[in-house]
Amino acid sequence: MQVTLEHVTHTYQPNSPFQSTAIRDVNMEIRPGEFLALIGHTGSGKSTLAQHINGLLKPTAGKVLLDGQDIHEKGFDKKALRQKVGLVFQYPEHQLFEETVAKDVAFGPKNLGLSEKEIAERVEEALARVGLGQPGIAQKSPFELSGGQMRRAAMAGVLAMRPEILVLDEPAAGLDPQSREDMLQLIAGLHRQGTTVVMISHSMDDVARFATRAVVMEHGTIAMEGAPEEIFRHAERLEQMGLDVPSVCRLGLKLRAMGVDCPPDIFREEQAERALLALWKGGAAHGAE
Amino acid sequence: MALNDITLGQYYPGDSAVHRLDPRVKILLLIALIVAIFLAGNLLAYVPVILFLGLVSSLSKVPVKMMLKGLKPLRFILILTFLLNLFFLQGETPLLNLGFAVITKEALITAVHYSLRLVLLVLASSLLTLTTPPITLTDGLERLLSPLRAIHFPAHEMAMMMSIALRFIPTLLEETDKIMKAQTARGADFESGNLIARAKAMVPLLVPLFVSSFRRAGDLAMAMEARCYHGGEGRTRLRVLKCGKLDYIACGCVALLIAAVVLCGKVY
Amino acid sequence: MAEPIIVADHVSFSYDDEGPQAVRDVSLTVQRGSFHAILGQNGSGKSTLAKLINGLYTPGAGKVTVCGMDTQDEKNTWEIRRRAGMVFQNPDNQLVATVVNEDVAFGLENIGVPTEEMPGRIEKALRDVGMLEFAGRAPHTLSGGQKQRVAIAGVLAMQPEAIIFDESTAMLDPQGRREVMAAVRRLNREQGITVLWITHFMEEAVECDQVHLMHEGQIVMSGTPKEIFADAAKLKPYRLDAPPMARLAQRLRSQGMPIRQGVLTVDEMAEEVARLCR
Repeated sequence: MQVTLEHVTHTYQPNSPFQSTAIRDVNMEIRPGEFLALIGHTGSGKSTLAQHINGLLKPTAGKVLLDGQDIHEKGFDKKALRQKVGLVFQYPEHQLFEETVAKDVAFGPKNLGLSEKEIAERVEEALARVGLGQPGIAQKSPFELSGGQMRRAAMAGVLAMRPEILVLDEPAAGLDPQSREDMLQLIAGLHRQGTTVVMISHSMDDVARFATRAVVMEHGTIAMEGAPEEIFRHAERLEQMGLDVPSVCRLGLKLRAMGVDCPPDIFREEQAERALLALWKGGAAHGAE
Repeated sequence: MALNDITLGQYYPGDSAVHRLDPRVKILLLIALIVAIFLAGNLLAYVPVILFLGLVSSLSKVPVKMMLKGLKPLRFILILTFLLNLFFLQGETPLLNLGFAVITKEALITAVHYSLRLVLLVLASSLLTLTTPPITLTDGLERLLSPLRAIHFPAHEMAMMMSIALRFIPTLLEETDKIMKAQTARGADFESGNLIARAKAMVPLLVPLFVSSFRRAGDLAMAMEARCYHGGEGRTRLRVLKCGKLDYIACGCVALLIAAVVLCGKVY
Repeated sequence: MAEPIIVADHVSFSYDDEGPQAVRDVSLTVQRGSFHAILGQNGSGKSTLAKLINGLYTPGAGKVTVCGMDTQDEKNTWEIRRRAGMVFQNPDNQLVATVVNEDVAFGLENIGVPTEEMPGRIEKALRDVGMLEFAGRAPHTLSGGQKQRVAIAGVLAMQPEAIIFDESTAMLDPQGRREVMAAVRRLNREQGITVLWITHFMEEAVECDQVHLMHEGQIVMSGTPKEIFADAAKLKPYRLDAPPMARLAQRLRSQGMPIRQGVLTVDEMAEEVARLCR
């Protein structure tokens, strides 16, 4: 299954004094099985872009295609689309509403019109998937859970729809380090098992660790696109855009500026470790000569 | 989803003499104007009121279209008032015999009189809300009602509530929009089905909205306390309302208007 | 020796009588003009501690003294809150007024500052956090970082001696976090305002004078950032991880590269690597 955006433009409140264009003539595709990171400054249009992927927003101009078919064409099954493309908003725990965790997770499958048996199966599976499978939790009120657990319960609500593409808007925002890591591992696990992941993130360290491809947005257009190593090679450009770069990337930049011969494509910790050890051993060898 | 289209109140920004009037004066003058409208004993007495409203609205530079917008929600009541008076009022001078009813001159005059009264009341109030930001209006109300503290009327608390509500409306609208989208993404349907189905569909929207509003209220209370808020006692204000020359002139104009209305009523 | 401005002496607190203690036997001294961080996971009791210092809660046992005043004594409450202001986590839920400068005025109005004095203090406070040009804006049109800076200005206008930040960057994007952190550091350096910075971000704790690590209601470690982050393994039991450069240093050391102890920032690491590789 493939989603393609063709010349998509979105203007909020057109023909009003508050008119603002959030994205402009965006062309991109989401490839099956990839882990795509959407990067950009707040207000660069990434959230607007994400909401086009499952048809929540309709482009002011341009088309969104699912396997070549225009999703805003008459007669297109939007419900089926929303089942295939799951969207997890920022702070998704703010959307919990049911009496029990299980009922809340069941909301999506119920809307799909599935049988009771199928719903129960999916709820159980989704809760186990996010690490809330322990007995008792399903029957608890979602408002009794801890912050990190609430976030995962909300995730389960989307996973229970069994989406093929999962779009996440800053899934780790506001979590403490441990819950953050749990959340990222969960998403990485889903990706490994075949779910296509599109993740909006402000943390370049996370992008460096998990993404297979990254799209950088600036002022509503795509400024850069490519594998993380290609993106982070232009660390200076990212910093100009007001974005972070992974800390090891910054270390590389700094070392090169100091005249140390550090290779340019370091963006993960283990790469830095290898490169620096090689440098040091090389330097030590020099010293010995 | 048209949630973003809701503009707060109906304030029309400007810097005219009408805009600059002290809100307390404006509120009191509106009350005086309402009294004048009710004092008008005949159609002639409305002439000075209409002239006055015309003058004030042209001074304020608020487009006439904006003024008339306030009448739109009332159009059915207006038509109903007019028709009911026209058809069911008994009079002595028949004008037109429709067979099922006789329209008399007296009925026509009363119908015009009552409808005009309604229109003028709405226009006068719109002038106040169009030229005064909601927060200034709140301020004015608080100051006007503060003498009532003596009988334990919570004037300050009411004003504080109003201003917090004004501050949070945009935030809550944004949140509503977001929750709606999130539930739609999970297959919720807010737009189709009968009334009961639609009311039920609101639950996934309203529960999170209430939960977050309570959380916000708790946070806000704590933040206000941390900033030494302890009610209206001993509070000073950044903006102090002061009556100036302009306000006295306005008061004089309205006094003259009332005199004119009373006079017209007598003359006729 | 600088004078202590915030002192917690064997403080305990629980939210209800039977429930577990959110803060257990915590002692802490913050000197005037210093920049302290309290680091911990969610639920470690760090936010509760912040509220105890500001007098929003009063200790069940022990004593909190702010600028020499006991928080337990009700007649001190308002003076403590004025002298030790507080900025909270959610940028949306702490601004009260519909216009920025009126929000900054809110605290001044509460403590009865004369009207003539307000505009000057508001202007200075907004300028100090770089928000003067936004004085006439509505809060909901600002970014998260900007809202937090307005909240800081609101506290600053009251001319406090200390400001407590209760996870004030947790909901911001990296840009917003940088803005807020920079503004706070400037206030600490240039105006000598004491800062108590509560966070779960290691990178932020690295830049403080003193770090206190909280876990399950207790302070389990206190020291300079270098002391606290020297050994990543020590942090593990508290579900915390060392900052990236400390972690990298640890990796390199385990491979035999003699990186000196106490390397925490990119700059320090770069210098160390350059020294070793030349």
